[in-house]
Amino acid sequence: MGLLENIKEYRESSTIESKNSAAYSKFIELGFPSVKNENWKYTSLKKIISTDFQIEQTGERITEDDIKNSSLSLGEKLVFLNGELYCNPEISGVKIDVFKDENPKYNDAVTALNAALSTNGYSITVEENIIIKEPLEILFLTKNKSNNFIQYRNNIVIKENSNIKIVEQTKNLNNNICFTNMVTTIELKNRATIEFNKLQDNSKSQIIVDHTNINQQKDSNSTINTLLFGGAFTRNNLNFTQYGEHCESNMNGIVILDNNEFGDNHTFMDHLKANCESNELYKGIYLGKSKGVFNGKIMVRPDAQKINAFQANNNLLLSDDSSINSKPQLEIYADDVKCSHGCTVGQLDEGALFYMNTRGISKKDAKAMLTFAFAAEALDKISIPVIYNTAKELISKKLNVDLSF
Amino acid sequence: MLKIENLKAGIEGVEILKGVNLSVNSGEVHAIMGPNGSGKSTLASVIAGNECYEVGAGSILFEGEDLLDLDPDQRAHKGVFLSFQYPVEIPGISVSNFIKTAITEKRKVLGLEPISAKDLLSKMREKMELLNIKIGYLSRNMNEGFSGGEKKRNEIFQMAMMKPKLAILDETDSGLDIDALRIVANGVNKLKNKDNATIIITHYQRLLDYIIPDFVHVLHDGRIIKSGGKELAHELEEKGYDWITKEADKKWGC
Repeated sequence: MGLLENIKEYRESSTIESKNSAAYSKFIELGFPSVKNENWKYTSLKKIISTDFQIEQTGERITEDDIKNSSLSLGEKLVFLNGELYCNPEISGVKIDVFKDENPKYNDAVTALNAALSTNGYSITVEENIIIKEPLEILFLTKNKSNNFIQYRNNIVIKENSNIKIVEQTKNLNNNICFTNMVTTIELKNRATIEFNKLQDNSKSQIIVDHTNINQQKDSNSTINTLLFGGAFTRNNLNFTQYGEHCESNMNGIVILDNNEFGDNHTFMDHLKANCESNELYKGIYLGKSKGVFNGKIMVRPDAQKINAFQANNNLLLSDDSSINSKPQLEIYADDVKCSHGCTVGQLDEGALFYMNTRGISKKDAKAMLTFAFAAEALDKISIPVIYNTAKELISKKLNVDLSF
Repeated sequence: MLKIENLKAGIEGVEILKGVNLSVNSGEVHAIMGPNGSGKSTLASVIAGNECYEVGAGSILFEGEDLLDLDPDQRAHKGVFLSFQYPVEIPGISVSNFIKTAITEKRKVLGLEPISAKDLLSKMREKMELLNIKIGYLSRNMNEGFSGGEKKRNEIFQMAMMKPKLAILDETDSGLDIDALRIVANGVNKLKNKDNATIIITHYQRLLDYIIPDFVHVLHDGRIIKSGGKELAHELEEKGYDWITKEADKKWGC
């Protein structure tokens, strides 16, 4: 049958309110994007959508132990089990609830589908002048009885002068495929700050298409760290829009993929106003038969003078069968701006390997050190020690080396 | 300690070393001089184990074992050290981290207890003082953004930390001003003892004013064509290489 048929069947039989019918019609009109769509040129959904998925949640019981094993144990936890909110913490000055989107917005087929089908997700509102020191952990866990297609729609609002750090993980606990279609909107009011860490150490039964939209008012500061360390198929879309002056937007990414894994990071930085800054650094390491895609677009609108925009995407291909398609895009309509972008694809420096060898460092360890050093530049932007250490551990596991230095 | 016999090596099918013979005993300092393109750096690279070079014939016995059978890291563990003519920049790895890893691996292979962080640091401090290196330098990335002189000093610093039995200094004097040259030479002299040996590869006599060699060899067209005492270096400085190379060319039929 395939996913499209599964969706149609579900829609006909389900009791979803008709208010989302415009979004549904839009999706049906557009259909799943094919590789003919410029934004999906190197990212084919063909194989995925020819698979059958259950739309209704039919999960098995997830135990406290499962949660504990998946958690980073940072303190406060917001947990979804098989698509349903399981626990939400009480934090003073923060309102956490299930998100009911009254007016779901969408800009393409996948987000329209999310708007049409989503019934769940979180809403986090941080009141004015609140600084949350301990990072909030968000966990989406699934243990499906069959292949499952699941939608989350989340909303974060950080009010004036407030500051929060978040770590998000999506984990599927068995071998039935879980396809997650997630849309998260982050609203940063004046002088608000967020550090959002996406820890994607996903399993080979996970397919993720994520859209995170960050809307920034003046003097706000956002950092999104994407740590993509695995998963059958991952497509991340980060869309930043600076609606006020003196905003700062930071994106850091580390991608380490192996076997037949596929990972695509699409970012869009929209500079609408003057005196703002954006920094983007993505490091990719590809092993086995893994494939990567990077597409980073920076738009500087006519009013956005005195902009500093920096973008770099560096990739290491450590096997003959791995590949990366990297595409930086700059569109500048203002004349007093400083923008730079660079993209590299390469292998480890043979000269450096020999040099280290002559100092008694084995080839294997020299490779590990050089590879880790390559990734570490993006790792250094993570301010939460547990995340930094977890990321370091995962890198060492993924590269199958000892990084005890 | 080191006995090189009839060593022939080349790169991409071109023979550069055409039968080198050299014996070095512990406690000795040897200088290998020669005009550009004579094969000096190739010899250093082949002893260290650079895989870019193909070895066609001969052997490099080091304490009775043929180095040609060993990987570069194994040669380092045996006590061979090459100070690079062009030290490589390694972004993202600090000097202290690099040296710590190198020493830890060597000790592990030799079955020695790992050295404590405190002991290592105090040892580093001592050697840095010897070479007039500032402490902030330890946290800088290996050779990244270093000046020519800093890179060379970093090489000798590593040598001081590794305590090799055989040190090969490949054009260590190039890129050094006179003060740095004196500091580096002083460092090398202090590290010298009756149990280790040094091979200095150089184009000029300059460094040999500070590190006095016991033997001087002239390498030309892949062969050692003349050997002598330290006075040979002075003679070369005075007369150039022509008078020897012409003679040799006649002999080898070039």
